[in-house]
Amino acid sequence: MTGDGAKTGLRLSGVRYGYAGGQGPVLDGIDLEIQPGQVVGVVGANESGKSTLCLVAAGIAPGTIGGRLEGTVRIDDINSSHAKPYELSQRCGILFQNPTTQLSGIAPNVWEEVAFGPRNLSLPLGEVIERVEEALDALGIGALRERDPQRLSGGQSQLVALAAVIALRPRYLVLDEPTSQLDPEGTRLVGDALVRTAQRTGSGILVVEHKTDLLARLTTEVLVLDHGRIALRGPSHDVLADESLERHGVSPPSDVRLRRALTAAGVPIPDLAV
Amino acid sequence: MAPPKLGDRALLPDRAPAPQSLPDFVGRPAQGRYRGLNPTTKLVIAFSTALIAFGVRGWTGALVALAVVVASATYGRIGRAMLPYALATIPLVISILLVNTFLYPGASDPIAHVGPLSPSWSGLTAAVQGTLRVVAFAMSVALFALTTTTNDLVSDLERRGLGRRPSFVLSAAIGTVPRMIDRAKEITEAQRARGLDTEGRVWRRIRGLVPLAGPLVIGALTEVEEKTMALEARGFTAPGRRTVLRAMPDSPTQRALRWLLTVGTLLVLAASISGALGWLP
Amino acid sequence: MSPTERVDALDIDVENVSFAYPDGTRALDNASLRIEPGQRVAIVGQNGSGKSTLVRHFNGLLRPKAGIVRLGGEAIGLRHVAELARLVGIAFQNPDRQIFGRSVGAEVRFGARNIGLSGAELDRRAASALDQVGLTGSEAVNPYDLGFSRRKLLGIASILAMQTPVVVLDEPTTGQDAAGVERVAAIIANLSAAGRTVIAISHDMRFVAEHFERVVVMRAGTIAMDGTPAQVFAESAWPTLESTFLEPPYPARVGAKLGLGSTPTDAALVEALRSRT
Repeated sequence: MTGDGAKTGLRLSGVRYGYAGGQGPVLDGIDLEIQPGQVVGVVGANESGKSTLCLVAAGIAPGTIGGRLEGTVRIDDINSSHAKPYELSQRCGILFQNPTTQLSGIAPNVWEEVAFGPRNLSLPLGEVIERVEEALDALGIGALRERDPQRLSGGQSQLVALAAVIALRPRYLVLDEPTSQLDPEGTRLVGDALVRTAQRTGSGILVVEHKTDLLARLTTEVLVLDHGRIALRGPSHDVLADESLERHGVSPPSDVRLRRALTAAGVPIPDLAV
Repeated sequence: MAPPKLGDRALLPDRAPAPQSLPDFVGRPAQGRYRGLNPTTKLVIAFSTALIAFGVRGWTGALVALAVVVASATYGRIGRAMLPYALATIPLVISILLVNTFLYPGASDPIAHVGPLSPSWSGLTAAVQGTLRVVAFAMSVALFALTTTTNDLVSDLERRGLGRRPSFVLSAAIGTVPRMIDRAKEITEAQRARGLDTEGRVWRRIRGLVPLAGPLVIGALTEVEEKTMALEARGFTAPGRRTVLRAMPDSPTQRALRWLLTVGTLLVLAASISGALGWLP
Repeated sequence: MSPTERVDALDIDVENVSFAYPDGTRALDNASLRIEPGQRVAIVGQNGSGKSTLVRHFNGLLRPKAGIVRLGGEAIGLRHVAELARLVGIAFQNPDRQIFGRSVGAEVRFGARNIGLSGAELDRRAASALDQVGLTGSEAVNPYDLGFSRRKLLGIASILAMQTPVVVLDEPTTGQDAAGVERVAAIIANLSAAGRTVIAISHDMRFVAEHFERVVVMRAGTIAMDGTPAQVFAESAWPTLESTFLEPPYPARVGAKLGLGSTPTDAALVEALRSRT
């Protein structure tokens, strides 16, 4: 980490947020900190505030979509309310659920799609090229470079979108249910890419998912969101095995479910590793 | 030292340095004699011919425009590709011919008397001129559409100073149509599966408009919202000019041609409006 | 308003059906399948395997280029989709490509109205359907004030209200949280208890293993495997599953490793262990 700990991290302090024209706060008192190198998972029932949390963490709310924010959101040394969206996107990237709508829709090939962000920042051509090549390389999608982004599988589209985000070189990444609309192959593709990204880079990652099996693989810490508040937090292993998880509308990972079924039936638990 | 960031070179395992040149498929210039012209040149040609076709009375305007278009198409060897567009004007042409020949107001030079109808020579003249104008216009548009991709055009315009927002809107607008068509198909299927009758009698089908249009409109609005967030997250609202990847080929000859055509067209239109060109056939 | 009224049972018979889209993509290649009334069938396979194309043949949205599709013994022929919608209801994956009503109440009644219901019977069915998806009391709410997953349940409700003998659910659990998944499971159980056929396209192998008695695995327009979850997720079938990018559910993998035979669900694994000791 750095010698100046106070100046790094994606930090939400006392955050309350409500959408413009909405009824009441969707996030109601969130304190959360992600340091570079950490991968934190977020689970919760639908409408518990998970997507809103992603938008607030990345500064899109209220920055782009308005709404009322109380508390502070800081990304490293800046306060998100004082930064422009294009400054924020270079510090914290965000990946959405829908594989196609987050792509620009105007790039004729994957290479130009990934170049979209760096071009927007008016970077010199040499640097644009460098960033695109590295992003494609980091995600292993070099082979897709000439393909039409609108004609890819869901999983491939998500990888292209992820490459497009990291081409802006953010230190933090927020992922809002990146695999929920993908088939099993797409889920595997994206899941593996996320694991690799998390391992290889020193970035801080916040990932929202229903798939607790994936989170068990990917994260070191998990937060449970319930009605806009953090109901539970701690090391992944502990939180995902917690008894109260289902009460918060979350399905535990497969091995936890199996263990519980065996215990309930009074059958001794064998080695469950596969 | 600050920790490295996603996408940073420092984090990738030791590899050969990334290639520093643009891949050749990015902004690859179009091939062909007419196709290979700079997009703005082709745009200026299209505008000039269309304006001359309609802006100058009588035969001259339409014939000159048509001649330019046909010459360009021949030069570019795309004459054959233009044929379908020419044929597409036939229905309109037939109606122009009929309406003008038989119903030309104030005609006093009948060709013949066919029962109650009196086709006139003035009418026929107007009809053929009208036809030529329409065909010239259609061919001018076809010539442009067949030889210029949206990407190339927008890229060139942006390089010349068109803002990033209008550029995006232009590019996105073209892509919207096929997407909306796909979406409309999905919506139609879902509503038919709920018993909406699209195969029965007409009045039943009209009732289907709201269930078909409703989700389409709502979906388009939702998409705008999502797209806005996604664009901002990709730095779209940053100030300054976007980095140009590859400049479209251009030449001093083309530049001169564009100026000539623009100024020439404006002069001709001014003259035409002021009546100075009445002597032309 | 009991969801367990008995209806006319309907079997589905797909005989050597082939289908290609206008652009030439062969989506179904000589597929044959017979579904008995009241069965719970899951159709699985990666995107592009032909699952969606297959189910669209059940209600006439697509007509086979070769082969015959029969409902209740009668060939579908050229009967209109609007007519077949009384027999086979399909709840598509994306609710936002169908919802247009200004209220939940209006939306849930749409399909049932189209097939000729009205008045008290219509209200009864609407209430029953909303009850099954947990949206009772939300009749006046604008569907777009509901979250995506509840809108999806609303889409399913509008099909339930039509009370068709065959119900097809396209990816019903995608994007659902734990409560939503349970609701879908309950809906399937209710439909089955009422004697209706339930067909679901799903990516969730665990859900499939736990709630369906038959699994049809598709690959490249053909049926690669067709059997019970125990058969389809047995170790001998894994190479086939892998070839279509599917993975057996966790209990199946554990059971195979422990040498317990085919245990596609937690319950099966528990039982196998219990009987071993």
